[in-house]
Amino acid sequence: MACSREQRTLIDTYLDEEMTTREAEQLERHLQECPECRSYVDECSTAVARLRSMARLEAPAGFTDQVMKSLPKQPKRRQWKTWIRRHPMVITAATFFLVFLISLSSVMGGEETVSVEGSGQYLIDESQNMVVVPEDAVVEGDLVVRNGSVEVNGEVTGDVVIINGQHLQASTARISGEIEEIDESMEWLWYEIKDFMKDAFSFSGNGTENEDSR
Amino acid sequence: MDIVVKKIVREVKGGNQEAFAELVELYKDRVYHVAYRILGNVHEAQDVSQEAFLRAYTNLDSYDENRKFSTWIYRIATNLAIDRIRKKKPDFNLEDRVGGTENLDYHSQFADETPLPEEQIVKLEMQEWVQDEIMQLPPKYRTAVILKYIEDLSLKEIAEVMNLPVATVKTRIHRGREALRKRLG
Ligand SMILES: [Zn+2]
Repeated sequence: MACSREQRTLIDTYLDEEMTTREAEQLERHLQECPECRSYVDECSTAVARLRSMARLEAPAGFTDQVMKSLPKQPKRRQWKTWIRRHPMVITAATFFLVFLISLSSVMGGEETVSVEGSGQYLIDESQNMVVVPEDAVVEGDLVVRNGSVEVNGEVTGDVVIINGQHLQASTARISGEIEEIDESMEWLWYEIKDFMKDAFSFSGNGTENEDSR
Repeated sequence: MDIVVKKIVREVKGGNQEAFAELVELYKDRVYHVAYRILGNVHEAQDVSQEAFLRAYTNLDSYDENRKFSTWIYRIATNLAIDRIRKKKPDFNLEDRVGGTENLDYHSQFADETPLPEEQIVKLEMQEWVQDEIMQLPPKYRTAVILKYIEDLSLKEIAEVMNLPVATVKTRIHRGREALRKRLG
């Protein structure tokens, strides 16, 4: 071998395209004179060109779906927990807010009187905030009771909707539709909490951004 | 692009698992391709690239958002692929080499393009030959050469993927290139 190891290192630098123009010109002059170095460069270039000509393959069809299916299952509750873990301040604030709301609603509530919507026979007991459909009575369509409980012994052809009250089971009842109990104060509370959380979230979201961009 | 990726990563970290599908879509072809070039077998390549995404998902908290996601996922995938080669070595998998099982696999990817014209067959055979020669390289040179000449990454990126100094990466590329020069040159 006529050329030294040093020459090889030079050629590597040349092949890496890391030479200055002057260095490259100098080496190219040597290549013209030295068949050994020239064939070394040619062979390397051919090998590299073959590597570069390799076709690009694509991931098989359905790849993404399969990956997604392989991910650990993530129940809704866990998302919530992760979120809480990340934002402990917010949950503390939310707890305070919840306590505040409960005390507020207990102050506000208690003075509404029972009201009923529905066509048919029923009894209203205002002292107990109670609506009774007697055993042989029929209410045509829906029965909506607000601020009171309902005891159906007879028949309701539609739904029974109780807002801020309870449905008392009776074995003789015949209700064709659904029974729905709505707690307005809770609904309202829930709505307020969700709204509050949303604001809190976007606020703390900005916070994390600052934290991350160190 | 990087902003989009950052956004998706944050979505996933925040608990939106579905958003991860977008990341997979963005990188699946690159990851699969690298895995295939290292392993030379479509089944293993698919296995390894799926595993790579699964690991990326479960370790997303350790991903440094200031770095390129591609570098990170390449790193996971190449490590998994190399691990697989090393595990396979003791009982050199006959099925994968004798009778060219992997070549069959390779053909099956082009199954819908049959019949192949002469020119195409020559091209395919050439690709198989080059792939076989890549597979003869020791794993540590193989990754460096593939990332450099097939994936066209910069030395700095390869250094990050392989977690090595740039100088070491250079040496590995030179050694790999030298080995291939004798076979492909
Ligand atoms: Zn010379």
